[in-house]
Amino acid sequence: MATANDEEVLEGFLCPICKADLKSASQLTSHFESLHQEEQDVLKSLKDIFGKAKKIILNTDDADLRETFDRALKLNSQEYYYPLEEQTVGVTRSSTDYFKAVRSSRLERYAIETNKLLIRLDKLVCNMPSDPNHRKQYEQEIVPWLDGSSVNLCPNCAKAFNLTRRKHHCRLCGSILCHDCSVFLDLNIAKSIVDPSRPQTSQTEEVNEKNGLRLCEHCYNLIELRKQVQENRNAKTVLVTAYDQMRSLMEQAKPAVAMYEKMCQSLFDGETTYNLSDVNAMRGRIGKLAEGIDILSKQIVAFPAEPGTRQAKLQNSIRQAASHYIKEDLLSLRKLPTEAQIEEVRRQRYERAQRQIQKERERTERERERRDEGAEPSGSWVDSASHDDDNPLLEQMNIIRGYIKEARKELRFEEVEILETNLKELKKEYHLQKLSNKS
Amino acid sequence: MNVIQAVKMYITKMTEESGPGMKVILMDKDTTSIVSMVFSQSEILQKEVYLFERIDSHTKWDNLKHMKCIVFLRPTSENIALLSRELRCPKYGVYFIYFSNVVSKADIKTLAECDEQEAVREVQEVFADYLAVDRHLFSFNIVGCLHGRNWNQTHLQRCSQGLLALLLSLKRRPVIRYEAGSEVCSRLAERVRELMRREAVLMDNNIPFNGDLPPPQLLILDRRDDPVTPLLTQWTYQAMVHELLTISNNRVSLADVPDVPKDFREVVLAPEQDDFYAKNLYSNFGEIGQTMKSLMDEFQKKAKSHQKVESIADMKNFVETYPLFKKMSGTVTKHVTVVGELSARVAARQLLRVSELEQELVCQSDHAGHLQRLKALVGSEGVRAEELWRLVALYALRYERHAANALPALVEALRARDPPAARAAVLALEYGGAHARQSDLFGLQDAAKITRRLFKGLSGVENIYTQHTPLLKDTLEDLIKGKLRENLYPIVGGEDLSSGRRPQDIIVFIVGGTTYEESLCVHQINQAYPGVRVVLGGTTIHNSTSFMEEIKHAMQGVHRTHTRHIRNI
Repeated sequence: MATANDEEVLEGFLCPICKADLKSASQLTSHFESLHQEEQDVLKSLKDIFGKAKKIILNTDDADLRETFDRALKLNSQEYYYPLEEQTVGVTRSSTDYFKAVRSSRLERYAIETNKLLIRLDKLVCNMPSDPNHRKQYEQEIVPWLDGSSVNLCPNCAKAFNLTRRKHHCRLCGSILCHDCSVFLDLNIAKSIVDPSRPQTSQTEEVNEKNGLRLCEHCYNLIELRKQVQENRNAKTVLVTAYDQMRSLMEQAKPAVAMYEKMCQSLFDGETTYNLSDVNAMRGRIGKLAEGIDILSKQIVAFPAEPGTRQAKLQNSIRQAASHYIKEDLLSLRKLPTEAQIEEVRRQRYERAQRQIQKERERTERERERRDEGAEPSGSWVDSASHDDDNPLLEQMNIIRGYIKEARKELRFEEVEILETNLKELKKEYHLQKLSNKS
Repeated sequence: MNVIQAVKMYITKMTEESGPGMKVILMDKDTTSIVSMVFSQSEILQKEVYLFERIDSHTKWDNLKHMKCIVFLRPTSENIALLSRELRCPKYGVYFIYFSNVVSKADIKTLAECDEQEAVREVQEVFADYLAVDRHLFSFNIVGCLHGRNWNQTHLQRCSQGLLALLLSLKRRPVIRYEAGSEVCSRLAERVRELMRREAVLMDNNIPFNGDLPPPQLLILDRRDDPVTPLLTQWTYQAMVHELLTISNNRVSLADVPDVPKDFREVVLAPEQDDFYAKNLYSNFGEIGQTMKSLMDEFQKKAKSHQKVESIADMKNFVETYPLFKKMSGTVTKHVTVVGELSARVAARQLLRVSELEQELVCQSDHAGHLQRLKALVGSEGVRAEELWRLVALYALRYERHAANALPALVEALRARDPPAARAAVLALEYGGAHARQSDLFGLQDAAKITRRLFKGLSGVENIYTQHTPLLKDTLEDLIKGKLRENLYPIVGGEDLSSGRRPQDIIVFIVGGTTYEESLCVHQINQAYPGVRVVLGGTTIHNSTSFMEEIKHAMQGVHRTHTRHIRNI
């Protein structure tokens, strides 16, 4: 262990000063406190790093506690019988289709008009001359203006036109309206509507005839609606990005935890598919994921938001959910068995297997004795060992061992499992071959 | 037939259909309670739902276009109007709309016409339109469903819609039976049948017919047939907490308890989220005390050894960051606080003395003796008027037809101490006296019951405080055995029960409210009859205080016809 490579040093509990392996976080901390008092800064960082790992390690007591709790509960309460019933989600009825039919028949009318307006808007803003007089002419070329001679009242507010209340035209539909009834669309915004790839420029100065487009309320509303729909599609903030990252880490954590449970169980069962160090590494990886989630959620909560707004509330909720998730799902992992426990379980298993083999052997031995009594025992043991080196099976086994080592290093434990079964099969094959050679 | 599960599955479906992303859930007052009954906040946070908003809140909110909005509303006209306004100026990116009951086409059209930004992705009806209190218990939280002995129309509609939703959520197509003597039961039964007929297509398409099984039965009962159960002092944990501290939507307020820790001003008692509570809600007070003591002992031992192990590290910091330790110590402390308060109140109100007389009043027959003890209690200063009105009411109901009935004198004595209490006792008789009941509540006519009681008296009772069993138990057992008489409990629409008299799935609904004692009784029946599943519901779940309210509402504007001889009330 102590001579392991660099990566394992990071994962294990080695003292950064004297490189001694302390086996556990609390021992390491106390070792550090007693022997390296002068390096208190390192100690602090050490505590931080192992803060999470420590919680994982200490779950011995967790399990004990749960047991206590369960035991106490059982003292006085009987188990209730509940009929096992496959309950499926209740009846639902969807009206989405009807809703969408009504909506689209209504929006279609708008859509045709909006598209017409958009085409005009595109032409208007694309090659707009900067000179006001040319501009007016240009605008009239694209959209025919309504002849105002017979219009005496503003169609919108029904006030009479006169010297002070002049006639104006909506630049998109060409209809007549007074100044009070007209709305101005910022040219920059207009450009960004027809070309969504343009960077949005946000300015709050007053929009007037010069830097804006005179529109009637109706056209303005249609264009505005269109703009909002467009914005909704492209709404992606830093918060969303950070959040998505956090969720993807959570997605990764789920199979990792499942894998860990499986590996742990396999250790407890005394199988040799995984080593203790494998499982420890897995634990470390889950710890890292937890840390990543923790950091991202802290980032989210730290995004600027005015206190009391829903944005702030949202960020707090996300943080709360994340820390709950880490506590409940990632840090409450089951405790690993110690080296000694594993040895014990493995020994038992081995002994069982040995007994089985012994029995098997005795049986075949007896059978053989019965079958060919007097036949001479062959000395092929030595022979088979001599031409072992160039056996293709052995070669393959070595290759697979290499693969396993590599997969282990990169924490791909699903692969390790498959390779280990392969290796086992090869071993069996090899064994059979040897037996057949022998006989 | 697990109602909590049914509601949970609907809500899970809503959160899953909207896909991954940050979500907000927009609800009204009723749906907020429906959701909070089955999910804790931390559970729902894990489903990516981070904000909870009320559609009727008038605050002007900022836009959160990056969020998905799950809308979960009752389909009332106010809600449709509010939602239309929301859709016209959507604050969130996309909307998934779910109504908790049947919504009309016209309303959907109104909404569709408001959705100019095409923000709506789904419009559905899910039928989670009731409060799931326990796996076999639901309620509509309506106190005072009757007004002047007749249905309040709003409440009648709410109950019939709620029952329809219940049937759809559990996928049951029952025959409906009701108490023949009760006008309100027959009205409700008719209404539910009418709604079922209107949604026949929906039911037939989604609920498979099974000819082999007897059809489920929905049995509608009247609280007035058993006015006794809500008047009794309770001794099982859940019922006791409700009687003495009041449970509302799984929450218990301890704010007026002296020296209560800050965290426990309001505690949540939900069997789904609290193991200790789930396992002990039907235990009686004595058992709870024992369990609690052993739990405390073990816990303290553990906590001590814990401190030794962790003496190097900062213990305080450790406990705070230690979720399980904290959670468990939290649970234990919570229940210790609750039980402590219960026992304080039991002592202060002399409830053991009161309860003993209550039980004897309803379960035994000794007019002279009971009257004497009752008089003594009315005269004793230590017993509060809140207990006395219940005792007098029980006396009034039990000995209504007794030759030596001394009710006027008792009422007079009570009036001297507390006039409203005296009035309540008389109203209780007017509400649920013999004229309003069709069952043999006290077992005075049935020969079998009389002998049973006689034997009980001879062999002595196990626990003097829990002798009473609610009438519901007899009714249900008759129903399960196929012996519930059809002239007393007819089927709405005049159908006959040829297809099966012994139902396996039973839904009981009590107009006027049910009680936790009856919930316990249904629980015991579910345990005792494998294969039979009973779900119990009521307009609300009563304790004696809310029951007094119920009576007052029901008797509003009614001339007393059966208690005219008692004056000066």
